[in-house]
Amino acid sequence: MLDRINPPEISIPNAIHLHTPQSYKLKNGIPVYNIYEGTQEVVKIELIFAAGNIAAASSLLATATNDLMDEGSTHHTSSEIAEALDYYGAYLHSENGVDWSSISLFSLNKFVSDTLPYFQEIITQPLYPSKEIQTYKQQGKQRLSVNLTKVDYLARINFSETLFGKNHPYGRVTKPEDYDLLDTDVLKEYHQNKYKNGLKAVIVSGLADEKLIHKIIDTIDKMGLKNGELPSIALEKYAPAKKFIEKEDAIQSAIRIGRRLFTRHHPDFIAFSVLNTILGGYFGSRLMANIREDKGYTYGIGSGLVSNNDDGYFFITTEVGADVREAAVNEIYHEINRLRTEDINNEELTLVKNYLTGAFQRSIDGPFALAEKQKMLLLNNLEINYLNEYLGKIKAITPQKLREVANQYLNDIDLCEIIVGK
Amino acid sequence: MIAYEKFTLDNGLTVIVHEDHSTPLVALNILYKVGARDEQIDKTGFAHLFEHLMFGGSINIPSYDEPLQIAGGENNAFTNNDITNYYLTIPSQNIETGFWLESDRMLSLAFSEKSLEVQRSVVIEEFKQRYLNQPYGDVWLLMRPLAYKVHPYRWATIGKELAHIEDATLEDVKGFFKKWYAPNNAILSVSGDCTLEQIKSLCKKWFEPIPMADVPARTLPVEPVQTETRIQEVEKEVPNSHIYMAWHCCSRIDKDFYATDMLSDLLSRGKSSRLHQQLVKEKNIFTEIHAYMSGDLDKSLFFIEGKLVDSITMEDAEKSIWEELEKIKTEIDERELTKIKHKVEAYLEFSEMGIANKALNLAYYELLGDASECNRQAEYYNRVTSDQIMQVAKNILTKENCSILRYHSKK
Repeated sequence: MLDRINPPEISIPNAIHLHTPQSYKLKNGIPVYNIYEGTQEVVKIELIFAAGNIAAASSLLATATNDLMDEGSTHHTSSEIAEALDYYGAYLHSENGVDWSSISLFSLNKFVSDTLPYFQEIITQPLYPSKEIQTYKQQGKQRLSVNLTKVDYLARINFSETLFGKNHPYGRVTKPEDYDLLDTDVLKEYHQNKYKNGLKAVIVSGLADEKLIHKIIDTIDKMGLKNGELPSIALEKYAPAKKFIEKEDAIQSAIRIGRRLFTRHHPDFIAFSVLNTILGGYFGSRLMANIREDKGYTYGIGSGLVSNNDDGYFFITTEVGADVREAAVNEIYHEINRLRTEDINNEELTLVKNYLTGAFQRSIDGPFALAEKQKMLLLNNLEINYLNEYLGKIKAITPQKLREVANQYLNDIDLCEIIVGK
Repeated sequence: MIAYEKFTLDNGLTVIVHEDHSTPLVALNILYKVGARDEQIDKTGFAHLFEHLMFGGSINIPSYDEPLQIAGGENNAFTNNDITNYYLTIPSQNIETGFWLESDRMLSLAFSEKSLEVQRSVVIEEFKQRYLNQPYGDVWLLMRPLAYKVHPYRWATIGKELAHIEDATLEDVKGFFKKWYAPNNAILSVSGDCTLEQIKSLCKKWFEPIPMADVPARTLPVEPVQTETRIQEVEKEVPNSHIYMAWHCCSRIDKDFYATDMLSDLLSRGKSSRLHQQLVKEKNIFTEIHAYMSGDLDKSLFFIEGKLVDSITMEDAEKSIWEELEKIKTEIDERELTKIKHKVEAYLEFSEMGIANKALNLAYYELLGDASECNRQAEYYNRVTSDQIMQVAKNILTKENCSILRYHSKK
C-alpha cells in the first residue's frame, strides 16, 4: 500500500562549491568576467558603471542619461539604431540603481559581429537629441502621474524619503518638474563624466567561447572607457517617523513598515536575513501565514532586506482592504513582537534553512543568474568564498541568535511606518 | 531545440521528460485543461479561485507549501481563460517530494471550509489590488464584454464581479474539482536533472493509481461574426486618456496564427516597429502604443492600446491608428519581414532558458497538439510570407470587426 501520508526522504546539501569565473582585463586593467554556461547560443554583455543616482546631482539625471543613450549617435539616428538592433533580433537592457547603473546587450551569438559596433557607438557617442528628450519627458511625466495615483508607489517614495532624508539620493523623490531640468547639455555632461569615465567592470554570460570573448574584449577596449568609483555621500542620522497619508478614493491602503539598517558587510547581515525570511521573506512566512492565509486581509505581504553602498534598510510591504487596515497593522506588530519574545522552534528554523538552501541553488542556476551573483560579489568587494561559505553560515544560525538580533534591531521605537490610503 | 521523451499512463496522464544535467534542479509542471472559459456564467472567477484552493491542503497532506519548502522547493501557479497551470522547482535529489505533493492534490483535496473562506477573501483583495485600486485596472473587465457577446471569453479570469467569488460554496468547489481535475485532463512535464527511467518509475508509483474520470466534452458557444463597430466611452479619474481597440482574429491552433502574430510584431515589437516609430516618434500622438494578439485556444483578439499625448483628441488618435493599419494591408518590405523573423528567432532562443520555461513550453505545445511542435515554431514563423500577413491584416483589421474602448481622463 502506497504511503501518501509521510513525506518521502529528503536531503539538503551542506555546501555548494562555485568556481571563480574566467576573468580577463581590459588594456586599462578594468576586469571582464566570462560566465560560460547554459544551453542556448546567446550572449549577454553587461557594462557596469559608477553612474547610478548617488552620482547625480538631480533626481532624473542618472536614469535619463542611461535610458536615452541609444536615442541617436554621431553616425546613426535613434530609429536607425533601433532598426539595426531589431533586425538582428538583439535588444538592450538598461538598469539604473541607487548606486550603480548598467547597460546590457542581449544577442544571438551568430549576430554578435553585427550588433557589437552599434553597442560600441551607443555607449561612446550618444548625442542626446532634444527631440528624443522631448518624447522621453512626455512619456516620463505621464508614467509618473499614473504612479502618483497608486497607493503602493506613494508609500514607497514616502518610505525612502523618511528613511534617508530628501537630501540624500537614496531618499530623493522624483517630481514632475524634475523632467524640466533635462536637456542635451546636462545629459552629455553626465555621460562624459560618469560613463566615459565611470566603467567598473564587464560581465559576459551565455555561450561566448574563447574567440568570441576576445572579440568582445577588443571592442570594449576600443571604447576607451576609463575606470570610475562611486562617491560616498554623508547620511543624516536616522530618525524614525510614522505617517498616515489619506487618499479619499482608495479601496485598499498601502502599508510600509521598516527601518534603516546596515549593509551586507555588517556581521549581523546574514542572521538578519534569516530573520527577515522567517518574518516575510517567502510564501510560508509568518506575515503571509497570519495576514493572508489565516485572516485573508491581503493578496500578498512580504518583507525584504536591501544593502546599498552607503547603507541598507529593512521593509515590510502590503496592500490591504481599507476596512481592515488597522487590524492588519496590529498583526504586523504582533508578528514583530513574537520575534523578540519567543524562540523560534527547530521545526520552523529547519524549514527556513532548507528553503534558503533551495533558493540559493535557484539563484545560481543558469548563465544570467550566475552573472547576477558575480555582479553582487564585485560591487560589494567580495570574493567567491562569500558564496561558498554562505550555506554554512545559514546553517550555524541558532534560535538564540535570531532572538538577540530581533531585540537589537526590531524595537517598535526604531521603526518607520508609512500608510497611504484610507 | 528541446529533446524530450513522452509517454502516457494507463489513467490517461500524458508525461513529457526533458533531461538537462547542467543544473542541480528539476522542474515539474502540471497543466490542467480547464480555465475561465469553462465556468458557468453565474459562477465566474471559479477556475482562478480554485487555483488558490489547490494550496489549501490535499486529502492526505494538510499543507502543500510546508513540505515543499522543507525540501528546498518553490512553486507557483497561474490561471488563464484556457488552462490552469501549476509548477515547482526543487533540488533534484528531492524530486520525489514534488511527485508526492502533486499526485496527492490530483487525487483529492481536503476541501476545508476555512481554506475556502480565507481564499475567497484573498481573491477579493486580489481583485481590488489588481483591477479596482489601479488606474486603468478595469480595462479588461470592460473590453471583454464589449468584444465577446456569447463566448465565455467575455469575462476576465478574475471573474465578472466580486459577488461570484463571495457566493462560492464548498459544494461548487467540490463539483468543479470532480469535473476537471483528473489525470486524463492533465499534462505533466518534468525538466532538468532527472532521467526518463526515474520519471517513469515515479509516475507509476505516484500518479498511476489515480483513477481517471469522465471529463465532459467541451461545447462552448461560438462567437457570431461581428458586423459593426462597437464603441464604449468611459470617463474616469485617471491622469491621461487611453484608447483600446480589439478585433476578432484566429485561435492559437489556427494555421493563420503565425501570420497574425507577426502582424502584431511588425506593428509593435521593438523600438523600430511601425506604431512606435510613426505614432510615438514621428507624429507624437501617443506616448506609448502596443499591439498584440491574445493567442487563446478559441478565436482570439487582436489588440491595440495607446496612451494619448495630452493635447491629442480621441478622434485624431484613432484616425492615426487606422492610417497605419491601412498601410500594413498593402506594403511590407522584405527587410522588415526578415527583421521580424530574426526577432522571433531570438525570442524563441531566450524563452528556452531555464528548466521551468522548458517544462511549461513542452506542456503547452502538447496541449496545442503535440510537444514536438515546440521545436518547429521557428520553422513555422520562417515560412510566413508578406502576402500572408497583408491578407490577415485585410481580413481582420476592419471597422465592422472592431470594438473600441475610449477611456477618457476626467480632467
